[in-house]
Amino acid sequence: MFKKITSVFILVLSIVACSSSDDATSGSGSSADGFNRQSMLINWADTIIIPVYQDLNSQLAGLVTAKNTFNAEPNQVNLDAFRASWLNAYKVWQYAEMFDIGQAETINYYSQMNIYPASVIEIENNIASGTYDLSHPNNQDAVGFPALDYMLYGVGASSDMDILAIYTTNANADKYRNHVSDLVEQMKTLTQSVLTNWTSVYRDQFVGSTANTATSSTNKLTNDFIFYYEKGLRANKIGIPAGVFSTNPLPTKTEAFYRGDVSKELALTALDAVQDFFNGKAYKSNATGASFKQYLQYLNTVKNGEDLDVIINNQINVARTNIQGLNANFTEQITSNNAQMTDAYNELQKVVVLIKLDMVQSMNIRVDYVDADGD
Amino acid sequence: MNKIFVAATLTALFLSSCSSDDDMTTTPTDTGVIAPTTYVFQRGGESTVSFGGQTTRILMAGEFVSALKDNTNSQSTLDAMFTHIEGNADFSNADLNASGKNIRSKVAASKDYFSANITVSNEIKADFDAWIAEQANEVFPNWAGTASAGVAGQLQQLNGGSTRYVTAKGLELNQAVAKGFIGGLMTDQMLNNYLSTSVLDEGANAANNNNGVLEEGEIYTSMEHKWDEAYGYLYGAELDPSFPVLGADSFLNTYLNQVDSNSNFSGTANAVFEAFKLGRAAIVAKNYTVRDAQAQIIREHISKVSAVRAVHYLQGGKTKIAEGDMAAAFHQLSEGFGFIYSLQFTRKPNTDSPYFSHDEVQAYVAELMAGNGFWDVSDATLDTISEEIATRFNFSVAQAAN
Repeated sequence: MFKKITSVFILVLSIVACSSSDDATSGSGSSADGFNRQSMLINWADTIIIPVYQDLNSQLAGLVTAKNTFNAEPNQVNLDAFRASWLNAYKVWQYAEMFDIGQAETINYYSQMNIYPASVIEIENNIASGTYDLSHPNNQDAVGFPALDYMLYGVGASSDMDILAIYTTNANADKYRNHVSDLVEQMKTLTQSVLTNWTSVYRDQFVGSTANTATSSTNKLTNDFIFYYEKGLRANKIGIPAGVFSTNPLPTKTEAFYRGDVSKELALTALDAVQDFFNGKAYKSNATGASFKQYLQYLNTVKNGEDLDVIINNQINVARTNIQGLNANFTEQITSNNAQMTDAYNELQKVVVLIKLDMVQSMNIRVDYVDADGD
Repeated sequence: MNKIFVAATLTALFLSSCSSDDDMTTTPTDTGVIAPTTYVFQRGGESTVSFGGQTTRILMAGEFVSALKDNTNSQSTLDAMFTHIEGNADFSNADLNASGKNIRSKVAASKDYFSANITVSNEIKADFDAWIAEQANEVFPNWAGTASAGVAGQLQQLNGGSTRYVTAKGLELNQAVAKGFIGGLMTDQMLNNYLSTSVLDEGANAANNNNGVLEEGEIYTSMEHKWDEAYGYLYGAELDPSFPVLGADSFLNTYLNQVDSNSNFSGTANAVFEAFKLGRAAIVAKNYTVRDAQAQIIREHISKVSAVRAVHYLQGGKTKIAEGDMAAAFHQLSEGFGFIYSLQFTRKPNTDSPYFSHDEVQAYVAELMAGNGFWDVSDATLDTISEEIATRFNFSVAQAAN
């Protein structure tokens, strides 16, 4: 479905916007419609994005510690702690994946953190060879949270005993320990670099870019948000495993497949992250600030007689209710009753139309990618 | 009652606007957009019209429907054709084998109707899967046996006519599939995908078309191409698609011709062709009001194809039952069955809805297949369904039965 992302020429939609000289990177921060985009950028950066990265970075620091403890003494207690730390970090990651901008975009951060399903063959090849460049594009499906999912739950067949044996008595135990260490360290290093970039230089660039061009912060992050919703959340977590884009369902393509029973929790977390971002809700706080929601309210955007921001929140809530009704393990859900899965997908899809058409039209923002799903 | 009245009024309005549109070729005064005589559009002397994917799927559907009548095929052979994977030797035509396209992925797959309706889309695809499986596993093994109520097999039409191979309920599954494709593949893709503003105007399509920005490596704009892809689902199998003669496939193209051949509906084919040309010219002229008006005309007429043929075959079947020619009756009823199934993919002009909903169609299917199916379907059932379809499309049963 997303096989071709077509970059497009950028045009300002309305004549109003065309005639106004809104391409300065400084000034009032107001766009042609009068909404203060800079206040939104500041809210995004200071109460959501940077706090998310800070939390993720500290979760990954915890993961490094848990990994070190495990590698020093690979026993059940330490395995459990390692796994718990992985899941905590994975949940925070759900808040971060949509911010594919700045350093994250430059280093293909997302592609090194959460491409799934992980390739067991590539992971095992890396382990066996012992020499690898984890940042190489070939390894994008052999690193990050999905690779750890395999390392913590997928190696060693059936039981935790088997898994522990891989790290202890197996002939290549040291290679497995080295590899799981390298994977975790890589995630920490990448995240640290994205966070440091935000706090050192990028935050000011980001909030200063208030124009309405393709490369302006609002336009780019709006596109990232919609793309993430459509691809990272809707397609990757639900649509692809449910077979929406293939002849048959693909139940092994769920997120955290080897752990199994957290795919729903991760999807719900991602949906919370999306909704919180839409509403400008500060990370881990109930404070709200300038946001898509406020922007739509400012524009007084109405669809079929109802406020668009209300419609969007309501539809996200409907989707959440649907997802909550699913099996905690999407693989099992797809196998037992895929129609329930596609029902949830349908509700998620309805949000796409609202944000990708109605919302961006009223904000005069051009979507810079299309699904090239034609003949 | 009110709704029917409004619908009828709208349809009447539409018909009158159609007839004036038919003359658009020579009277361009109101819009400035002129339809060419043939569907030829060029940029720098090179054709900008392209719909290879549509031609491919029509040809795949053609071979597939033929394969449904070859009792040496297994279910897996048929499934492989239906869900063709690039490079597999599923077809006799090497170009089709090399193609990465398949039929099934575009069944019940339009953006407007199914992008947020995957559960129903899957149910529809599963209907086709089940028909294919039943053909392979129940009809093929009884190819030589005589069909009777509750028993799959063959029946020959009276006077040494064609032999029909039917399920235990008298349904010719190859007809159900073939006529189901007319709705589920061709009509749905045309009316609810490629002619939709959601597709024509997707992303930057309008801005790019306004500024002559072409698709990467191509000679057409995305919007031009989308419109052509709609065109391709109707005319893609024509020898010279720029000037269609109809009867070029076993699907929508041929049945548009059939409807047009009925004097009560003559002019339908021309209205569709003119609307396609004018709409495409309007895209070149960047006049999207004219474009969208043509899409509505096409929606109305193409929707009518399934409706007219559904009623026609139900009535034809009824006549054959009365004559005691069950083989001929089953053949016609099976075609009617497929066209009824296709009604859920129609599109009422200026709405987001089909003339008959999925649930309404399912109810008809259940009614026709109740008990021993066509073996004991009553005249009353056939007449009631015929009347309901005709009424909603604002024609009479007698007109369609012609």
